[in-house]
Amino acid sequence: MTGFVGFALRRALGMVITLFAISVIVYVVFYVTPGNVAQITCGPRCSPAQVHQVAEQLHLDDPLYVRYWHFLQGLFAGQDYSTGTAVQHCSAPCLGLSYQSDQQVTQLILAKLPVSLSLVFGAMVVWLVLGVGTGVLSAWRRGRLSERLLTGITLAGVATPVFVIGLVLLIVVCGELELLPFPQYVALTDDPEQWAWNLLLPWLSLALIEAAAFARLTRASMLETLAEDHIRTFRAYGVGERSIIGRHALRGAFAPVIALNANNFGGAVGGAVLTETLFGLPGIGQELVHAVNVVDLPVVVGMVLVIGFFVVVANAVADVLYAVADRRVVLT
Amino acid sequence: MRQPSLIARRVAAASVSLVVAAGAAACGPKDNDAKGSSGGDATPHKGGTLTILNSNPQQDFDPARLYTSGGGKVPSLVFRTLTTRNRENGAAGAKVVPDLATDTGRPDKDATVWTYTLKEGLKYEDGSPITSADIKYGIERSFAPELSGGAPYLRDWLVGGADYQGPYKDKGGLDSIETPDARTIVFHLNKPEGEFPFLATQTQFAPVPKAKDTGTKYEQHPISSGPYKVVKNENDGERLTLERNTYWSASTDAERKAYPDKIDVRSGLDSSVINQRLSASQGADAAAVTTDTNLGPAELAKVTGDKNLAARVGTGHFGYTNYIAFNPNVKPFDDIRVRQAISYAIDRSSVVNAAGGSSLAEAATTFLPNQKSFGYTPYDLFPAGKTGDPAKAKELLAQAGFKNGLTVTLTHSNSKDFETSPEIATAIQDALKKAGITVKLQGLEENDYSDKIHNAKTEPGFFLAHWGADWPSGGPFLAPIFDGRQIVKDGANFNTGFLNDKSVNDEIDAINKLTDLDQAAKRWGALDKKIGEQALTVPLFHPVYKRLYGKDVRNIVISDWDGVLDPSQVAVK
Repeated sequence: MTGFVGFALRRALGMVITLFAISVIVYVVFYVTPGNVAQITCGPRCSPAQVHQVAEQLHLDDPLYVRYWHFLQGLFAGQDYSTGTAVQHCSAPCLGLSYQSDQQVTQLILAKLPVSLSLVFGAMVVWLVLGVGTGVLSAWRRGRLSERLLTGITLAGVATPVFVIGLVLLIVVCGELELLPFPQYVALTDDPEQWAWNLLLPWLSLALIEAAAFARLTRASMLETLAEDHIRTFRAYGVGERSIIGRHALRGAFAPVIALNANNFGGAVGGAVLTETLFGLPGIGQELVHAVNVVDLPVVVGMVLVIGFFVVVANAVADVLYAVADRRVVLT
Repeated sequence: MRQPSLIARRVAAASVSLVVAAGAAACGPKDNDAKGSSGGDATPHKGGTLTILNSNPQQDFDPARLYTSGGGKVPSLVFRTLTTRNRENGAAGAKVVPDLATDTGRPDKDATVWTYTLKEGLKYEDGSPITSADIKYGIERSFAPELSGGAPYLRDWLVGGADYQGPYKDKGGLDSIETPDARTIVFHLNKPEGEFPFLATQTQFAPVPKAKDTGTKYEQHPISSGPYKVVKNENDGERLTLERNTYWSASTDAERKAYPDKIDVRSGLDSSVINQRLSASQGADAAAVTTDTNLGPAELAKVTGDKNLAARVGTGHFGYTNYIAFNPNVKPFDDIRVRQAISYAIDRSSVVNAAGGSSLAEAATTFLPNQKSFGYTPYDLFPAGKTGDPAKAKELLAQAGFKNGLTVTLTHSNSKDFETSPEIATAIQDALKKAGITVKLQGLEENDYSDKIHNAKTEPGFFLAHWGADWPSGGPFLAPIFDGRQIVKDGANFNTGFLNDKSVNDEIDAINKLTDLDQAAKRWGALDKKIGEQALTVPLFHPVYKRLYGKDVRNIVISDWDGVLDPSQVAVK
């Protein structure tokens, strides 16, 4: 187990360094990005004097390193802030307050994260089942009409943007056929059944696109394995096709599928913007795009850190699963 | 929406009925219930839930922070103000009427002191009385940098407004607002402002009880003075649930009908989804409207082809102009003949097409919107006809020394608004080519675009712009753009033509003294024509708003004040 503990520690340290690097990069990028934050916060018609007051209020005139230092202080020690009528405390880890809404960024993340995780977890199940299933089937049926058909469909899946698939699903399923009401997010804790019904279409649209990549990857890795010498030997020994596909060839596809899944999962937590917007899911991606548009730095940093966290964790989990799937891999 | 069993049944039946249903869907509307489609004709009743489907969240739901025209759509359900917009269709809706006050204000003889008296029996959602001191406090807190976002007029007009920083930093308050008794409030302005009653429609004139003020947190539960109170405000206005304020009395409020019992504002939705939902009108969506999403050109074409859907489209006009702006400090636009040549060369019919066609845009030759309340005076100083006059343009260019044509850069935004967006820029590029003007396009990201065109140091010479009215009058339309004293050198500047003409400035001052708004309107119209001679802008078009509403929605009122369906008037039963 020491090997694993060492691995976990190294990974945790790497994660912290990565996240710090991300936060520094976002601060620097936003420092040079067009868009006068104080003017946007204050409103387009604010006078220079008023804009100056707002800039002071938000500490926007401080040099970059001072603002970053305040960010770090908030993160480790929390910070006090004024609502005008009272002083409130944002406890550590405090990611600051939104320039626009004055909400604590940590609270904002807590409100948005369940939505994004609900979307991505569900979609992941669908894309894995659909993608790996299609991949196995098309490897198995290579060269036949059914395989061509499946490949065609998956290619169409990769090629179709999510807003097309999603909008078509919405118009057909909800608008014309009235099989489902138009989705509106219901929290899992409020009503699990409604949660699932309302997320069904978003899961499908996100998963249909992702599934295509998994199908192609599974098929390619399986075919590669099937072409290897040891499979020919198994076949020569009379091992059944079902067992060859299920036990040996599929195993070869596990590692790349796990790696891809980790990447996609981490990315989708903050990257499913189109799906979130189309289905009105108030998730991390939507919030991030909005925050970037209004140059709301604390929210952008907070959201990017959360997304970064999930990408890094997903990759670490992938490494562990990788090792479980393939004993030749050593965790270092 | 909470019908699991129904959904389950529908899914089970889906496989069987798929073909049938698809066939039925292709035959047009499935709903033959036309009672809601007649809109205003059906008798409105109290009750039910009105759903509002929006793309933009109702952020900063604090009367100090909102920037509205006439109190806004959703805000005006919760916040009453000294005056408000008349809730009537068309031009009648561009009038200002009393709200909390007994009249629209009593000016002194030079319109620098305005006095209001509150109606009797006004109450907040907790039953406590609304006093003039609360209105004073509400205005004062809008000066706090913590609660920024509102319009600039109070700061510019109130004596001492320029330096005041709100009640959190400056406990003394604003001396220019007096409250001699609980029902009287007096405003002292630093210059005559005949349009003060219009300003008093903005949410900064809503009462805020000092004891209930929670600063930046107030937006989570602002204290209602209107027919509805905020029951829930999730994620900074992403979802707002409003229920009846039982202490609101219709006898003190002639403007808001408040038919629905509950209002559910849902936002963060994609605009195509909003229109799809309104057209499908299923479940709760049958009683839904939108206050921020127009029908796009393609959607409108689809809707117009369907009789039942077409009956559910509201059409509105908002005082708004899309135009080309010139910066005369940049060559060759310093030469009025070049500006005139471009004015002559413009093909307005192709611009209107680019904006979505004649049902979504009306060609404009005046800077002021084509509405009476603005003082609209028709003029066409550089007649380009429907498709442009390239010959006249070439002639002027030759006079200006550009016999062999010229090359210019047109700056526009990369937004998808069909206003300052690439479609419009391309239409202009094509038209000017005929006059020998080669136009290079410079498309900028929205923040970058806004920063550049409103900064005196970086303003391009030739760009697309738009302007909307803070209230339906010539004042807030012309003054910020053409008053030489409003040129801002070190901040957001809207006088992009840098016009500083004493006769224009003097006329603006003279009209501001008028308290007879009809008289003022006429003079704004004349001033607009006079400014037009400078060719600092090329008016392109005024937008027309087309919006769908659900099939159970009735009592549709769309005023020319804001051009959109008024949720305070609609009934869903």
